[in-house]
Amino acid sequence: MTTAAYLLLAAVLFAVGLLGTLVPANALGRLVGVELMLAASAFTFAAAAVGFRELDGQVAALVVIVVAIAQAIVGASLVTRLRRAE
Amino acid sequence: MSLEQAVFAVAGLVCVAGAVIAATHRDPRTAGGALLLTLASLAVLYAGLAAPAVSGAVILVALFVTVPLLVHVTVPGSRDSPAAGPAVAGAALLIAGGVLGIMLAAIALGEVPINVSLRVSDGYDLQALRDLATGRSATAVGASAVLLVAALAAGRAARRSGPRSA
Repeated sequence: MTTAAYLLLAAVLFAVGLLGTLVPANALGRLVGVELMLAASAFTFAAAAVGFRELDGQVAALVVIVVAIAQAIVGASLVTRLRRAE
Repeated sequence: MSLEQAVFAVAGLVCVAGAVIAATHRDPRTAGGALLLTLASLAVLYAGLAAPAVSGAVILVALFVTVPLLVHVTVPGSRDSPAAGPAVAGAALLIAGGVLGIMLAAIALGEVPINVSLRVSDGYDLQALRDLATGRSATAVGASAVLLVAALAAGRAARRSGPRSA
């Protein structure tokens, strides 16, 4: 498969995540949307790393994954707190 | 159609379909399950990209972060005993640990479920990735570690000051 196919798939995934962030009314849907956008950006880094034959993109993808973990932890805590407050 | 193209087509379709369901479904259990499906298909796609380290990281994230958080969000404790939620999440963590143990045993025995291996193979140099992470990308890796610790502390603090102070 060409790198362009992987990049296209990442773009579609990012668009779906953006849609999920903008459309749903509940906080969990927005959290999932942001997670999808971060996963798409990490995938873009990894695909570009293969395309350019450099490993820097894979390190960047790992950093983005760590950021996604931090965002998921904070976001889930906020969602839990919001639900308890309701 | 080659095997690589078939894997890309199937994993890509599953990834996009799972993402659409995760982003649009209102039921948190369904959305969380679809998100896990998306992460699993992404791991397969990373393996197809000859990036087994990233693929393994995605699997670890799904097992040790997404699943416990999903259980914690969808199966909250009762208002009288808020500690029930984290206890269930802890059980999910143990299950995830068991699954990871099975995977590690499979890798050690040479029966790798997907292309996740610590062995240096053609086109992928694990030593070079390690040198990169400890070399010119060391700042980013260190900042990621600090960010992760800060997020864990923030999540813990938010859980402690939950319903009692509200």
